[in-house]
Amino acid sequence: MRLAPGLLAALAAAIAPHAHAQKDQGLEIFIRPDKGYCIACHQVPAQAGPVTRSNVGPALAGARMRELGADRLRELLRDPTRARPDTIMPPFGRHHILDDREIDRVTEYLLALP
Amino acid sequence: MRFRSLRLALAVLLAGAAIGASAAGAEAVRQSIAARIEAQLKAAGADAATAAPAEASPQAAATPPAAGPTPIERGKVLWVRKFKDGRTLASCYPNGGRRVAASYPLYDSRLKRVVTLEMSINQCLKVHREALLEPTDPQTMGALTAYLRSLSDGRKVAVRVPAAAESHFEQGRRLYFTRFGQRNFACASCHVQNAGRIYADQALSAAVGQATRWPFIRANQAFTLQAQIRDCLDRMGAAPFGAGSDEMNDLEYFLTYLSLGLPLKPNTDRGQTTVKN
Repeated sequence: MRLAPGLLAALAAAIAPHAHAQKDQGLEIFIRPDKGYCIACHQVPAQAGPVTRSNVGPALAGARMRELGADRLRELLRDPTRARPDTIMPPFGRHHILDDREIDRVTEYLLALP
Repeated sequence: MRFRSLRLALAVLLAGAAIGASAAGAEAVRQSIAARIEAQLKAAGADAATAAPAEASPQAAATPPAAGPTPIERGKVLWVRKFKDGRTLASCYPNGGRRVAASYPLYDSRLKRVVTLEMSINQCLKVHREALLEPTDPQTMGALTAYLRSLSDGRKVAVRVPAAAESHFEQGRRLYFTRFGQRNFACASCHVQNAGRIYADQALSAAVGQATRWPFIRANQAFTLQAQIRDCLDRMGAAPFGAGSDEMNDLEYFLTYLSLGLPLKPNTDRGQTTVKN
């Protein structure tokens, strides 16, 4: 019992960089030309990623992402043409541009947007 | 006798109607796409006006002065080079090649194929038993098109789509609007549906006008329209059509007809690098 605070602190220390790394992975997939390259079409808030003038897709904001929720976001990333057949957004999952784990990382990144 | 002349008159009338209808087909397609793009550019312009200003694009930075002869100068050397039989490329074209580029690609009714400017250069080389050139090689074909098209700078695109070539125009239109490749884009996804919007910090060019500006100069090298299209297809995650293939030639035929009446502005400088993805 007396060990608990120390253990918690150790756990927190172990988890925190990991969580941070995962968030960075989401951003990396978001901006890499050979991965999602979401940044080419979408703007994100200045604190969350590079500042661009991209406007092929809508600008992304955290409130709207959290309103959609993780499941719908994952589904949209997997195949946005199911919800909107005429969208030009690539079907990242269906066409194997990103794997499930990478889609999860991008989803987490989007949900954490300011 | 009366019947025969009547039948002849009818045949002429029908043929005339068919030609009229076909020409109208390509023309109607061109006008409808031009109208879509005009509306889209207006919308994109309105967006740009309301969007927050961003930092200047690093890609917009001035290009340092090029080293060595320009592609146009290199093309001229190749253009006047004497073949083994004493003739030159210039001898294959009317007026030595002046004011001819705006008519290409053209439909060759004997070959039943679309003939691009590059193909016409290789046809000339073949007739004179010279080695053929790789259609997208910037050093040779690129430089030659840079020079040849510079001889038509400002001339208006005058490509014709005769009735017999409608199927080639239609094939080009179909390819331009078909989504393919890993990213599931069509050419039209960006250059019709989103023309003028900003992708990867650059404005997406509109389909109308695209065929007037080539070859594109990057790092003092000339890239043909087909080289550019292959680059685009590659970034779309699609296996590019071969340069000089019927698919690619039909695509260029369609795309060039969209720019009908627009002045040629060849040898546009695109800086040192290509757009990433």
